[in-house]
Amino acid sequence: MGERLRIAILGCGAITKSRHLPAVLAHPDVQLAALVDTDVERAMSLARTHHAQCRITADYQSVLGEVDAIINAVPNHLHAPVIIDALNAGVHVLCEKPLTTTSADARACCELAAQKNLVLAVGMNRRFQPGTLILRSILEDGLLGSLQGYDCQYGGSYDWETTSGFYFSKAEAGGGVLIDYGVHLLDTLVDWFGPVVNLEYQDDDWGGGIEANAIVDLHHRGNYGDVHGLMRLSRTHELPNRLLVKGSECWSESPASDTDVVLVHRRLAGSDVTMTLRRPEPDLGFRSNSFYKQLENFVRGVQGSEPPVVDGWHALSVIQLIEQCYANRRRIPEPWSDLADARSEVSS
Amino acid sequence: MSWLQKPIFVTGATGFIGGRVCERLVQAGAKDVRALVHTVQHASRIARLPITLVPGSLLDRASVREAMGDAKIVIHCGLAPARGILSTTENALKAAADAGVERFVHMSTAAVHGLTPAPGSETEAAALPRTGDHYCDNKGRAERIVHSFHRRGLPTVILRPSIVYGPFSAWSIRLVRELRDGKVTLIDRGNGACNTGYVDNLVDAVFLAIEKDQAVGETFYITDGERITWGDFIRAHVPMVKNAPPLQEISKAEVADYYRRQPGLIWGSIQQGGRLLRSRELRFLLRRIPAMGRIETAVWGWMQAQPEQRRERIRARFATPETVEPENNGNFSMPEEVTLATQTGTVFFSIDKAKRVLGYQPRIPFTRGIGLVEQWLRFANHL
Repeated sequence: MGERLRIAILGCGAITKSRHLPAVLAHPDVQLAALVDTDVERAMSLARTHHAQCRITADYQSVLGEVDAIINAVPNHLHAPVIIDALNAGVHVLCEKPLTTTSADARACCELAAQKNLVLAVGMNRRFQPGTLILRSILEDGLLGSLQGYDCQYGGSYDWETTSGFYFSKAEAGGGVLIDYGVHLLDTLVDWFGPVVNLEYQDDDWGGGIEANAIVDLHHRGNYGDVHGLMRLSRTHELPNRLLVKGSECWSESPASDTDVVLVHRRLAGSDVTMTLRRPEPDLGFRSNSFYKQLENFVRGVQGSEPPVVDGWHALSVIQLIEQCYANRRRIPEPWSDLADARSEVSS
Repeated sequence: MSWLQKPIFVTGATGFIGGRVCERLVQAGAKDVRALVHTVQHASRIARLPITLVPGSLLDRASVREAMGDAKIVIHCGLAPARGILSTTENALKAAADAGVERFVHMSTAAVHGLTPAPGSETEAAALPRTGDHYCDNKGRAERIVHSFHRRGLPTVILRPSIVYGPFSAWSIRLVRELRDGKVTLIDRGNGACNTGYVDNLVDAVFLAIEKDQAVGETFYITDGERITWGDFIRAHVPMVKNAPPLQEISKAEVADYYRRQPGLIWGSIQQGGRLLRSRELRFLLRRIPAMGRIETAVWGWMQAQPEQRRERIRARFATPETVEPENNGNFSMPEEVTLATQTGTVFFSIDKAKRVLGYQPRIPFTRGIGLVEQWLRFANHL
């Protein structure tokens, strides 16, 4: 494709401001055609602060005839209708995670993209982080020995700079910490260890709300045989914030604090040692950022030179897994909360 | 019609007490709970509940009024820094009066009598002193605002808890962290009155304050009614922490003497400011401001023009020996001044009035409360 790809970004919230817009503006093969937000002031302010020359509008339908592709960063529950409209207009889509809030919607999007022969890529930026790529190589290389399982715990007080606050609406977000953050982890875990053949899921939604804590036991069957793992997520308290993969020879640790590296813990001459694995890559500024690499992969997908790393079908399998979790949920026991009613004890 | 069937508005809902109030309302079967949310990122705990999160700010009267809607019950646990305590309380009261609220429960504090309450403040009858502490004095003033709205017809109730503990409480989170780090020092063997109140006991009192008509216009101390000392409270957390270093001890007189020897506010600020100004980092940053570069050059030039002895005197003036940081003097942890004040009181507040008028009966005794705290601390990865 000789000309630059004309892209509109739909939704000018926190993720667009800090990640998508800088990536689009930095990419030489991309031209920002429009910023779209129901709050036009927000979109204008974003364009001003980034010196972006583009159309600003609240009506995404009106830009679909003027662009080659969109980045879909509207609240979760609007992902599906926006994707359907874009695909029907012949526009490629890079959609923020989660692809949709239901597997039925995700399937409809995937089928339409296939029918229209358009790219539907899903924003799983972690796939492009150096640490993720290193761990994949470690597993493929068999460095850890035979796999014994994994332990994946991520949590902290919720501090995402949300602009719209939709994260706390079940109807708009589709769920809590599992669909918001767990979707990233499940995406990579399924990619590495294969499909989940069995799971047990607990969370702390009291019914009608969204979970702040989730605990998932997962049983995969894939290239490495049967792998069991534990995933624990929290929006209320700190967790170790790392993925441990345990092998017969050594353990790998992927720390959230440094997504460029993987630590390998092993015994050496009778002592415990830790090796830090890092890819020798030049620092290209924002072009080293995972969102930039994700955009690049999308652009190449549209150009037909490489497939999207995460396409709609893979995202669909993760959404099905999340639905399976919610459908089989048990409450995390909270003995400190579930006290008998006060008055009945007082009066008895 | 039970009050639980009516619309209930909770402020401070993203906090420790307000969060538990929301949970207990849900457990009690409340049908329409609206939680005011100022900082949406803090709402993870209450977003789990089948309640309505309403965005707004207590500092903005119009937004409180809008968020309150047609609420009939208001539980005001919200807080703001310094004098914001007054405007936020007034805004909540004004909105409640406009909305025709049937009961307004105001979460005050026993600290209206200061961090070290004077003997005589055991019952609600004691007049409020001027304590000199911003938080305490503003909470006292806020109570007066509540009274003024009651006189104008708003059915208000004031609750004064003291040391409220329970799951999610910063007291226990901080304590186990400091115990692990060996930074907990008992003052006078921990004999100071702690006036603990398990959070669910306090919520029981909130519910009773809504139910009982005779509560209207009244003020109640709410504690567990057990004579728990700071030593009891701290020692109850010790077994939770694996391999905790032993507790340190110091007398009240020694701590007080230590702070007496520290430079006063003005001279201490000048000294500290001087040290900061001489730090390489700050000077480096300040030089980015064009005028500051000139000023620095001028000061430097002036200094160079002074006789050597005078230069030395000026340097010595600002280079007083490093004061010992209160939190870390070698292996010893000097309690902070606020800790000294909080942990050396002798007054145990009476809950007789709450028992008599509200029918309040603290049902979670200290030993059980601590057990529940430990269970939560383990779940929340604090232990």
